[in-house]
Amino acid sequence: MKALRIRELRKSYGDFQALRGINLEVDEGEVLALLGPNGAGKSTLIRILAEGLAYDSGEITIFGEPVSKRTARLIGYVPQESIAYDLLTVEENLRFYADIYDAPVKGIPKLIKEFSLPCGRKVRELSGGMLRKLNLAIALLYKPRILILDEPSIGLDVPSRRELWNVIRGFKEKGQTVLIATHYMEEAETLADRVAVMNEGRIIAKGTPEELKKLARNKSIIHVKGLLRGVESIIKEFKAIERENSLRIQVEDARRLLPGIVETLVKAGSEIRSIRIEEPTLEDVFLKLTGRGLE
Amino acid sequence: MKTRAIRGILTKDLKEFMREKTTVFWVFVFPIMLISVFGLLWGNPSPATVKVGVVGDGSMIVGAMENITLDGEPLFEVTSFTNESKGLDALSHGSVRALLVFPLGFSQNLSKGVPAHLTVYYNKGNPEGYQIARGTIESFFSEFSERIALKRAFTTAGNLSPAERELVYGIAEPISVSTLTVPGRGTDPMEFYVTGFIALQFLFATMNMIGVGTLTEIEKGTIRRIAASPTTPWDFLLGKILSTLTLIIASIVAGITFTYIAFHTPVLPGVLGWVIILLMATFSMGLGLAIAMLTRSIKATNAVVNIVSWPMMFLAGIFVPLSALPNWVRPIIEYYPIGRAVRDLRLLVMYNASPREVAPDILWLGLASLSTLVVAVISYRWAIQRLSR
Repeated sequence: MKALRIRELRKSYGDFQALRGINLEVDEGEVLALLGPNGAGKSTLIRILAEGLAYDSGEITIFGEPVSKRTARLIGYVPQESIAYDLLTVEENLRFYADIYDAPVKGIPKLIKEFSLPCGRKVRELSGGMLRKLNLAIALLYKPRILILDEPSIGLDVPSRRELWNVIRGFKEKGQTVLIATHYMEEAETLADRVAVMNEGRIIAKGTPEELKKLARNKSIIHVKGLLRGVESIIKEFKAIERENSLRIQVEDARRLLPGIVETLVKAGSEIRSIRIEEPTLEDVFLKLTGRGLE
Repeated sequence: MKTRAIRGILTKDLKEFMREKTTVFWVFVFPIMLISVFGLLWGNPSPATVKVGVVGDGSMIVGAMENITLDGEPLFEVTSFTNESKGLDALSHGSVRALLVFPLGFSQNLSKGVPAHLTVYYNKGNPEGYQIARGTIESFFSEFSERIALKRAFTTAGNLSPAERELVYGIAEPISVSTLTVPGRGTDPMEFYVTGFIALQFLFATMNMIGVGTLTEIEKGTIRRIAASPTTPWDFLLGKILSTLTLIIASIVAGITFTYIAFHTPVLPGVLGWVIILLMATFSMGLGLAIAMLTRSIKATNAVVNIVSWPMMFLAGIFVPLSALPNWVRPIIEYYPIGRAVRDLRLLVMYNASPREVAPDILWLGLASLSTLVVAVISYRWAIQRLSR
């Protein structure tokens, strides 16, 4: 049975079309990542599924049942912003949400142990990673059949992010259906069985990370790091993503084009620290499909 | 209705409240501080003694003034001045409330039985003090003149026939009044201030707690989450109302208990008084919620609550007695439900008013509370609908 089936889903805010006909299916036990930049429509889609946000047209079923308040208990939702109360302890927050969802309280000690949460500590004293884990525990209080995570690792430092990914991998191993909205390609690539790439309210590609990377298989990536100058002229000529002290250039024949690119950068005054020719990532797929980066 | 969820919201709100020191201060500590200040400043009625200054030859009158008492307290405190200008100086600075200037020969004229004239100066800078001083001094002279007239009548009428004697007494004292008293319940200024404090809780704390509390949950996203859970936004609202009511009633009970312990004044609203308090709470929660849902911002809610409540604190008779308010302000008490409610609460607490006396007001208060609650519920529904659009 399909855990989630979405057909031609459309949603507008006034003149702005946030979702322009989304079609998506998620199998039971599958981890699917919705990958796209901010403003792609991921959060709107998730709020429709998890918070009952009204939509203009389309059809959504969760385990064969049309989405409604009744299906809300099938979904465990971890929003971007924490819903835990700062002045309450971890355990008090879990008890409160157990009351709200009419979930049994006997499962709370198990969740606290599973996520290694400090049960008597007030939420305002928790680290970002702990807070995210608490929100995950809240979402799991009533044993939902689908877990939806909206940008789960946003704002987390690298160790906390890795720890959270291990938790999500644990769900995958237990056969839990998970839908993750993210703009971190590494997160999608690491955690997801399949990835749906979203841009401007549409799903522009979907498949396993490997399948998607094949879309850019005739491309190589020249990854230059250092104090870079003259990046504008490179971006004008090639599809490229510029980040702080880093430039990823998508080319068809890396070995032939590399000397020219290096020469341009050096002549412009760049201090190059490293140059690598890499295989394309999901972000490069996104670049190929949309002409821009994920952030 | 999900009882478990409502209980959960109530418990959560109470815990959050008790851990937020600033809110505890404003809802519990500040009112008790206010009661203490009022109690220490005005809790005991000030003695009725009137300070008067005297200049000149008035030894006979001054002697009488110094000996007269009211409820064991001297009625006058007399200070002698060597000349009129020194006395007037003291009067203008407020060290005496009136200055009695006895001209030379005043006592002699009084003894001879010829008209004796004196001048009394008052300071109108303090209208209340002026009224009290003038009333007391005029009553004293009226009584004193009557006694002298009667004394002279007795002396004059000694050799007259009984009928002529009666006629002379009638001239000296045309009307005689017997004064009797019945035991009654005295009022205590603390009762006035404690009932004022109760109303104050509904002017600020109640409105802010429910209004800002609900907006915070909307901004935090928890209401969206609750709306998608088996709990409904109406369960949430009920939980919020119950937690606000619990805390406000607890603060009122704390204030009343404190007043009893610190000032030995029992303020017992009685069943009808508690009905009025609950209606005030309903009105205030309705108004606070409506303001919050219509302004949609915590800052704006605080501002509007202050704009509504600050003037009402003075204009609706909360801390200023009705008698001290100008005439144009009095209709506000009639039409602003909290003003009307506090007036009735005082009638019940301070004067043991009968239920019949306050029944029409309770009906009015009930209608006002219900109307405000309807507006609040409609605006809350709009706010919830906006969240799912």
